[in-house]
Amino acid sequence: MRIVIIGNGVAGMEAALTVRKRQPDWPITVISEESDHFFSRTALMWVFSGQMSHKDIEPLERDAYDRLKLTRVRARATRVDVEAKEVRLAGGLRPVPYDRLLIACGSRPRPGPWPGSDMAGVGHFVTLQDLAWYEREVHGGAGHGGEPPNPDAHLRATTEDSPYRFREVAAVRRGRPAQRPAVIGGGLIGIEAIEVAVAAGLRPHFFIREEWFWPIALEPREATWIADRMREHGVEVHLEHDVQSIDGGTDGAVTSVTTNHGTHDADCVVISIGVVPNTEWLAGSDIEVDPRGGIPVDERLATSASDVFSAGDCASVRWFDQSLRPEQLWYTSRDQGRVAGLGLLGDTARYTRGIWYNSAKLMDIEYTTVGLVNWNVEREQNWYYEETGDVRSTTRIVVQGDRVVGFNLLGRRWDHTVLIRWLEERRPLSWVLEHLNEARFDTEFVPRLQVPLGATALEGPAPNPVIPGPTTVPF
Amino acid sequence: MDQQGQNGLLSTYREGWRNRSWLGIAISASLIIFYCFLYWEGNFKGVIGSEPLKGLSESLGLRNKWYLYGFLYTVAITGGAIYYLKRHGNSRYNRLRISVNVVIQLALGFSLPFIMPLFGGKEMYFSYFWPLKYDYLYPNTLADLPLYFALYTIVGSLIAAPLLAVFFGKRWYCSWICGCGGLANTFGDPWRHLTSKSTKSWKFEQFSIHIVLFVAVATTFLIGLDSVIGDEHPTFHYVVSGGSWSVKAFYGFVVGAVLAGVVGTGLYPLLGPRAWCRNFCPMAAILGWVQKVGRYRIRVKPDMCISCGNCSSYCEMGIDVRSYAQSNESFTRASCVGCGMCAHMCPRGVLKLENAWDTADDKDRQKLSVVNF
Repeated sequence: MRIVIIGNGVAGMEAALTVRKRQPDWPITVISEESDHFFSRTALMWVFSGQMSHKDIEPLERDAYDRLKLTRVRARATRVDVEAKEVRLAGGLRPVPYDRLLIACGSRPRPGPWPGSDMAGVGHFVTLQDLAWYEREVHGGAGHGGEPPNPDAHLRATTEDSPYRFREVAAVRRGRPAQRPAVIGGGLIGIEAIEVAVAAGLRPHFFIREEWFWPIALEPREATWIADRMREHGVEVHLEHDVQSIDGGTDGAVTSVTTNHGTHDADCVVISIGVVPNTEWLAGSDIEVDPRGGIPVDERLATSASDVFSAGDCASVRWFDQSLRPEQLWYTSRDQGRVAGLGLLGDTARYTRGIWYNSAKLMDIEYTTVGLVNWNVEREQNWYYEETGDVRSTTRIVVQGDRVVGFNLLGRRWDHTVLIRWLEERRPLSWVLEHLNEARFDTEFVPRLQVPLGATALEGPAPNPVIPGPTTVPF
Repeated sequence: MDQQGQNGLLSTYREGWRNRSWLGIAISASLIIFYCFLYWEGNFKGVIGSEPLKGLSESLGLRNKWYLYGFLYTVAITGGAIYYLKRHGNSRYNRLRISVNVVIQLALGFSLPFIMPLFGGKEMYFSYFWPLKYDYLYPNTLADLPLYFALYTIVGSLIAAPLLAVFFGKRWYCSWICGCGGLANTFGDPWRHLTSKSTKSWKFEQFSIHIVLFVAVATTFLIGLDSVIGDEHPTFHYVVSGGSWSVKAFYGFVVGAVLAGVVGTGLYPLLGPRAWCRNFCPMAAILGWVQKVGRYRIRVKPDMCISCGNCSSYCEMGIDVRSYAQSNESFTRASCVGCGMCAHMCPRGVLKLENAWDTADDKDRQKLSVVNF
């Protein structure tokens, strides 16, 4: 059985490992345009700052492909021929035939809709090639961690519209590194691009269209804490700034960003307004793609074409609220990769996603969320507590009727598995407050959270301009 | 403000002296030269005409060059601690642990051994135990010590140290009390990312550390035997502890000077700060066994790891922490010294050091992921 996997990100590699574990002799081919080695995309920011090397962010040792007998093809897939059962490649390379195929090609950065978004000095922070571009703009080049192996091997077999093309470096044109970067888009990649610029000793602009930072996840008080932290580090946080254009000088390199509040100097711009499924190359492949660009899959992660599976950021999966859309998270991609791997083996494994949870780190403030938060359900109420003193944290518990339906937690560490259990057990707020410290995952010597049991006043729904939600609790 | 995780980003790989550049190699060479003089300057006297460290100690009014070494050691730990706390002091665990390292070094590693002889006593390092301090169980060492000190050494080495490791893991010693560990975690901290994470290095460590342990136990046994039968068997006595090529001298030279000093510390900037502790320390080998059956472990929060590699990169013992974290496996590795850096560096709060026996609940937790192999 010939297995072909497009993409050697976490979904693709987990699938490959799953197949290899059971079938030591099946030929497995992994096609990747971006890199020779599987790496952790979430860790690009640390390579930029110099906290880790390229090798450090690779979860497998570099001999893993040889040891596991995985054939690597470094090229851009341009089409899947579902009749002939083969994957076409750019660069005049021979098509790769398959018996079972997994499409795990991930996301690409959402392009900027503004004039000037393609100028030298404007880029993203999603791919390895984006990292190389941003490092050159700010640092003038890579650190002692060096470059990944074969950084430009893909250029022989790629197309002009690829997200893995190198972008033009304005710093080279200008003859000096960027002094005043700007980041457009207040989400997780945006704050990463900000943090690394701060670590490089710069004072970046941060243009956020919404009323506060990351409204999809935070409410105003929480977002203000993060924004204050950024400002302490010299970040110019511009809220409610709608970008109108990115402007360049006579040399064609970026010089400023114009918003509805005027023009701001900037010599390097990172556009981080989200990611979209990296699937436009599938046009004409007879595999269904939904209007958002995701590849709809059933619970086995099978696509509309026979023997073709899809997993990770590019697949539209069934969410716990029954909607069908991509789940762009590291660990869901990993789990989907394992299920897809079982599918490639011919098993009928099912992918089911329980209650939503996620975590992040915003500057030095850790964030954990579980369940329905900012869902904007009409009857949703919030219990909010701000801990001040040596340990600073915020605790927001979302309540509907007499049961707790969500947690939004900043500053401390929490065990999401305990919180999920409580949601499933339909615990009331009073019970949760009494037991809250049992879900703590703080490091040793961090004192317990003193929960003010008396003050349990609930507030109405947090105002939110972004997400309208369903009216019933889906679990 | 207290936070638990890394505050701000590190620029480790953008600093040449921390990455085996010529400056790193020069620092390493200087340390090695220093150690060679410290141990063997008497042998070089014929060539260079003097003993610089001995001379320097005398001109400073110190009794011998080991006090000078103790002083420099204390300065290195204190200076390294300031450097460390500037970067990682926002976590209580780090603050406490490093402060204890400094206090132990100031009190037990430097002041007490300096003061005791002034009152006519015998100098004694209360923070070291056999087999790390290998001569502390030699019969003539014990015979020289006052009774209470001899008891302290015997009970400490054979009972207290392993017993504490049952309840707290080896960290109570290796990262809180031990002077070698103290130096590694302060002065040596800038190079902690250099420790090899390869599978090969893990295999080497398991082999080498047990060889040294065997040699340490055998040497102690032979020297003990020598004190009983040495008088009647002069050849045996000569081979075990008589000449400058005896078993005793050989152990002191190879393990005490070369592996612990020249390799263990001199190669900080090339091999990372725990080369001695990880590969050779016989005390670490014993406490590692105890740790495997004891309470200490690193708990992994399931299904939250993003495989970024911060934990593995900053593990000074070369443990691939990420491989456990991404497979939702709480674990105890014999080599782990419990410095806490993996939990500190983790950007998703996945790791937690704890002293607790496994419960049924812990085993259930590991089944939570969608598919387990």
